Amino acid sequence: MSRPAWTRTLSGLLRWAALGLALAVWAIPVLWVCATSVKPRTDIFTLPPKLLFAPTLEHYRVALATADIPRSLANSAVVATLTMLLTLAITVPAGYAYARLRFPLRQPLLIYTLFTQMVPPVGFLIPFYLVLSKLRMLDTYPGILLIYLSTTVPFAVWLMTTYFLDVPRELEEAALVDGCSRSGAFLRIALPQVYGGVAVTAILSFINAWNEFIYASVLTGYRVRMAPVAIFGFLTTEETLWGPFAATAVLIMAPVVLLALAAQRRIVRGLTLGAFR
Amino acid sequence: MNRPPGPYRLPRGGSALAARAIGAAPVAARRRFRLDREARFGLLLVAPSLLILLLVSTAPLFVLVGASLFHIELTRPWVGGFTGLGNYAAMLGDARFWHSLQITGVYTLTTVVLQVVLGLAFALALVDVRTGQGLLRVAVLLPMILTPVVVGLVWRTLLLTPRYGLLDYLAIATGLGSHSWLGDSTLALASVILMHTWQWTPFVFLVFSASLAALPVEPYEAALVDGASSWQRFRHLTLPLLRPALITVLVVRLIIALRAFDAIYAATGGGPGTATEILNLYAYRVAFNSLNLGYGAALSTALLLLTLGATLAFGRLRSAVEATP
Repeated sequence: MSRPAWTRTLSGLLRWAALGLALAVWAIPVLWVCATSVKPRTDIFTLPPKLLFAPTLEHYRVALATADIPRSLANSAVVATLTMLLTLAITVPAGYAYARLRFPLRQPLLIYTLFTQMVPPVGFLIPFYLVLSKLRMLDTYPGILLIYLSTTVPFAVWLMTTYFLDVPRELEEAALVDGCSRSGAFLRIALPQVYGGVAVTAILSFINAWNEFIYASVLTGYRVRMAPVAIFGFLTTEETLWGPFAATAVLIMAPVVLLALAAQRRIVRGLTLGAFR
Repeated sequence: MNRPPGPYRLPRGGSALAARAIGAAPVAARRRFRLDREARFGLLLVAPSLLILLLVSTAPLFVLVGASLFHIELTRPWVGGFTGLGNYAAMLGDARFWHSLQITGVYTLTTVVLQVVLGLAFALALVDVRTGQGLLRVAVLLPMILTPVVVGLVWRTLLLTPRYGLLDYLAIATGLGSHSWLGDSTLALASVILMHTWQWTPFVFLVFSASLAALPVEPYEAALVDGASSWQRFRHLTLPLLRPALITVLVVRLIIALRAFDAIYAATGGGPGTATEILNLYAYRVAFNSLNLGYGAALSTALLLLTLGATLAFGRLRSAVEATP
């Protein structure tokens, strides 16, 4: 059964090479943006690329002095946080109901919920534009919030349903026998067992709204400008400001990366869960 | 909870009018239509999510199909009115539509195939690697969750700019030479395919890694006893065992590839010319650059039908695969 020593060494080497390649391919571009954001202006356009340089915060100062950037980051933060809170308020109870309660049309309604997330966003863009402009809700917080819920609610319902299905139901049944109300069983018995799942749903909802671009580009203007739209300002056809652009890119990506690092294992599971439906 | 339904008790929450309307019905029928507490609580809990989805997900589809039957041009508001299937007729004779459909096909098929092959290869190569797992997980998680439009802009500038981009520098260093990666029609399509593959291969990798870790050990031990080579073990054990995961990954990836917009919009905007103009981008450009909303709505409807068709076809494929032993 034992293979010759040299094939084992070879396959070991191949594994290490694959690991190194995977890390390089997926990490270097991200690290490169971070490096560019702190490179002195004169070192950005050098060939071969400079790896050693005196780091500077100059680009961050320029980016944050561009009026649109701090304002749009604040807009994005407010809208993403509100989207997250509303999504949780709507989908945590729904997930519990789909996982635990018997009610008519349960299965078809859950399938309907999942089906709505299949539609490419471009398909919704024209109706959203027509209806919001008729209601004079273009470029308003309530308008964009409502629309962002269409992107978060379907997957959040699905995630919460699976998290509730994962916890044993005996505790709730015992509580119900002891005279606990249905809402008490949900809020006091079941909910505390899925706090981890609630956290993942919250993080993914926040990231979803924070990253959203296509709706923001059409349905918001100056007043509710979001960060992913505002960053285009550095890349006009006349000039390309790589330093401030990279700094802004880091500012936009930082919250996402921090949230992901905080709960990486759970998030990997949450993201791939969609693949097993 | 199970109070006996007395014949004179009114259904809770029902109005007097409703009570009178069903008053004459036999008790059994009345009981069948009354929801018990659990059902009412369940419907109450799912109601907000359903209301939101009806409002922002289903109603818009009707508005979309409705708009596709009208002539709506924001630049020429005086030409308007109902055109019936006029927009669809125009679409059939629109060479740019057929071109975008072709680009969508090429883009979707190549990205899905590349992701599945590369994702599976990496998952197989790294299945036994213990060191560096945490680091690897973070590295592959990043492309999936980073702001897609920023990813597209970063590729366009810091990575692919001729002479100054990191990838162009690598191309020069490896003897491929400097190229206008996003300025040449063929290279631009290849570049956006590469970018999408970079973004989403990690997803396939993570799903296959999880599936590989969950494979049963016994068949492999038996195969080793029988002296099967590693290729035979892969071909006759791993691949068949991974088949369900493979099909689901294909479906999910297909749907995500058909939704692609942000990164490709940021990197090329559909250009040069229409070289990377997938159907998504064409509909967007028609509606919000040319401000021809009616025709854009017709194109979006075509996109929806395409997505629906592809999903249903793959759904049938999935059930066919699951049915075969």
